[in-house]
This record gives sequence, C-alpha cells and structure tokens, in this order.
Amino acid sequence: MNSMRGNVDERLDALLRAYRDACPTPEPSANFMPNLWQRIESRQSFTFSFQRMANAFVTAAVALSIALGVYMSIPHANSASYSQSYLEALADANTLDTPDYVSPVRLELSDSGR
Amino acid sequence: MLVDFELIKRAQKGDSAAFNEIVLAYRKRILGTISRLIARPEDVEDVAQEVFLRLYFSLDQLRTAEVFEPWLHRLTVNAAYDYLRKQRRRQEFRMSDLSEQQVMLADAAAGGKVEHEEQYRKKIRESVQSLLGAVSEADRILLMLKEVEGLSLKELEKIYKVNENALKVRLFRARQRVLKAYGSAEAREETG
Repeated sequence: MNSMRGNVDERLDALLRAYRDACPTPEPSANFMPNLWQRIESRQSFTFSFQRMANAFVTAAVALSIALGVYMSIPHANSASYSQSYLEALADANTLDTPDYVSPVRLELSDSGR
Repeated sequence: MLVDFELIKRAQKGDSAAFNEIVLAYRKRILGTISRLIARPEDVEDVAQEVFLRLYFSLDQLRTAEVFEPWLHRLTVNAAYDYLRKQRRRQEFRMSDLSEQQVMLADAAAGGKVEHEEQYRKKIRESVQSLLGAVSEADRILLMLKEVEGLSLKELEKIYKVNENALKVRLFRARQRVLKAYGSAEAREETG
C-alpha cells in the first residue's frame, strides 16, 4: 500500500515537473507597457472623479446642515402669535360637551365578614 | 533583488520612468509565475498588467527594500487568485475531462516523447488544471508556488505572513487532496 502511495506521489511530482516545462514564460507583447499605462490612467481618472464626487457630496451635506441650523435658530413670525401650549390646546379640544367614553367605576363593597 | 531601493523611492514619488524600469525588470518573472499559476497563455499578460497596476497604486505603502519582492509576489498571488475565482465561476475546468487526460499523465511521468509537442504541453496543462480543481484557489496557488515555482517555506512565510507550521499543514492537506483526485482519476482510467 505504501509503495503504491509512494508511486502515486512520484508520478504526481513528475507531472508537476512536466507542467513546469509545459508552461514556458511568455514573451511580453509590444503593447504591454502602453496597455499598462492606459489602465493606470483610466484607474486614476476614475479615482479622481470619484474623489470629486465625494468632495461635492460632503460640501453639499455641510452646506445643508449649516442652512438647516440657521433656519432652526431664527425665530419664525407665526410662532409668536401662536403661543397656545399643548395642554391648552388639549383642554380646548376636550370641551364639556364631549362625551366620556369611559363610565365611572362603581365599587361595590361587600361585607367580607359574612 | 533586480532593482535598487533608490529606484523604488523615485517611483514612489511619481517618477514614471522609474516605475517603467521596475516593470521592465520584473515583467518576465511575473509573466512566468502567472503563466504557471493560471495556465492560460491568452490571459497571462492581462493578469500581469493587473499585478503592476496594483503595484503602482500601492507603491507608496512600501517602507523597506527587503519586503519588496515578497510583496510583489503577494500582489501576483492575489491577482492570480482573483482571476482563478472568476474562472471557477465560469466553470471552465471540468473534472469530467480528467480520465481522458490520464493517458497524457502516464506519458508525462515516463518522460515519453510525444509527436506533437505543443499539443502535449496543452494536455499536461489541462491535466494539472483538472487535478487542481480538487482544491480551493488559495490552496492551489500555495501548492503551485511550492511544488512548481520551487519557493521555500521561508519565502512562502514572507508572502503569506503565516508561520511555517501552518503552511506545512495547509500544503500537506492540499497535496493529499490532489493525490486523492489523481488516484481516483487513475482508477477511473483503469476501469474505463
């Protein structure tokens, strides 16, 4: 069994050696360097436009935050005339003629001693 | 090392001529390694360009000269790995072809002469590629670097940044899987 295994091992090694010879180092084509630089430049331009987009997005977000901050900090004209609080508004809405939906709780106390 | 660190430093500063020199110095070596890792002559140049593209954009991270070559090897391994994963998705390597190719394996082991040299080489490449289908892309590359490229465990340690024992275990398992695939393919050939 071991000798068989050894045999397979050797055959695999031989195959891998043959494989190394079967994959000769290819000669680079004449276009190798021009194509490489073309790829580098296209990647650079993509990265550059992505960075510009990201910068524009960040600038817009900052500008929007500042605008919102300013808007929130300015007291609005209609808020002065409308001074009614939430509780007052609730009391107004819940006038006396509004029916109660819950009837009063009636407690019947029974004599527990009996 | 095929280039001096001064050249790398110049390339790091954006000197295109220096980068060209680095590419020209390592191009052939990288093409050879990729050729053996992927075994597809038509795609070798494309993957090699990807390696140098990655080198260009990561060159500024390099700090010392000693790590340059292992690092370039790592970029090569990663590019080949990405390529092989894409290939696997396309399911171009079929294990069912293996039994037919076993005839060539016997020839390879015996070192017999084959009339059509290029056809023979192609068959050998296909046989090995089929066998390597038994392991993951990562193990396949590791096995190739060790068994075909002849890298030492120390060199592999630098490339993979893992300790020698872990590499040994991984290599042993990968080889066992390939051996098993090889054995069963041979058995199929005998019965068929």
